[in-house]
Amino acid sequence: MLDTVKILIGDDSILARKKLKDIILQYGTPLFLEAKDGQETVDLYKKESPDLVFLDIVMPEKDGNTAIREIIDFDKDADIIIVSSVGTQSQLKAAIEAGAKDFIQKPVQPEIIHHIIASRFEGR
Amino acid sequence: MYAQFFGNYLLSRNIVTREQLIEAMRKKSSSHIRLGTLAIHAGYMTASEVNRVIVLQTHEDKRFGEIAINEGYLTELQVAELLSEQKPDFLLLGQALVEDGIIDHEQFQNLIIDYQSDNDLTAFEYSTETKESIRQMIEHFFVLAERPLSTHEISLYHLLMNSLVRFIGDDFTPVPPIRCQEYPANYCVSQEINGAFSVHTYLDIPESACIDFASRYVGETFTEFDEYVRASLEDFLNLLNGLFIVNMSNDCSIELTLDPPVVEETESLLTFQEETYLLPIVYPFGTIYFIITLHNRK
Repeated sequence: MLDTVKILIGDDSILARKKLKDIILQYGTPLFLEAKDGQETVDLYKKESPDLVFLDIVMPEKDGNTAIREIIDFDKDADIIIVSSVGTQSQLKAAIEAGAKDFIQKPVQPEIIHHIIASRFEGR
Repeated sequence: MYAQFFGNYLLSRNIVTREQLIEAMRKKSSSHIRLGTLAIHAGYMTASEVNRVIVLQTHEDKRFGEIAINEGYLTELQVAELLSEQKPDFLLLGQALVEDGIIDHEQFQNLIIDYQSDNDLTAFEYSTETKESIRQMIEHFFVLAERPLSTHEISLYHLLMNSLVRFIGDDFTPVPPIRCQEYPANYCVSQEINGAFSVHTYLDIPESACIDFASRYVGETFTEFDEYVRASLEDFLNLLNGLFIVNMSNDCSIELTLDPPVVEETESLLTFQEETYLLPIVYPFGTIYFIITLHNRK
């Protein structure tokens, strides 16, 4: 599974990106794209059109919510999942209104990632 | 203390759609908590009892509490207690979903139970010694600060201890906190919490202890002081502060924001103008240091 899938991970923490990749690798071997801030995430999205984006909110050089809006402006069907430690009411609302499909509270539970991957790519 | 916001929990379990959640969040800010919601939360009444009282209310011109007492569901003492105790703010969100007909009282009752048992950090198994040292540490804070601690501060210190137990291990001893004006940094990361109040948090760990700290935190064996090890300090601090602002949002409707974590200059002398505390935490692999600066205290 996932051989033909492109997943973009936007997080300023190299460790957070590694942890997420390690979880996803249990379910398949997609092509990973990595960005360390909001601007890089937007640029990479436009260049590579990934199938799925995991995005942090608190990041330097453009936060996650601004990045979501810019990506959705470019591609209204973009599949963006927020993975963040700051799942407060206002952040959740802002992310969903900007166009995020889901919001995962850190620390990440592998079964939630599995559910997200399986619901999108099972059988591919 | 909760591991995630109630709305997030509902969304991740596909109980509500994004649209329904946003609508309920909008609505809850203008509504008042109902006694029935509180009685379910406290476990004093079941959902069907609450439903029955609501039906009775349509026939009798009486308040919910009055009917519940007449029917023997609540005592007067319980009503008084429910009305006086502090209510976690997330109950309003659940109530708004019930009023919108998205969930019923039965589902609400079950959801509260599941949410609290799945996400309650206070239920985390502490050893007796850990409990005692946390109690002592908070007590030291009271003495040191020469003023009552705010519930926010106490919540942050509890979450810190809780996060250490959850993510690093419970084999630590907190040293009594110290008032601090300057501090020579080893490898130090910091992060600002901003909003209704501001707190600047620092985590400083000598290089020799960083590798063990990271290995425990990530659950892998690191051998060098590399970028993953360095990132683990930022990651931990960000997680702790994130959980703190989630709890402020969930319990008190206080919305705070986080700045991205910053790496302080190595071996620099940090100086603090405002009320600052140093909390050394002793682990077998070395001592880690938390520093907390409280801004804007009147």
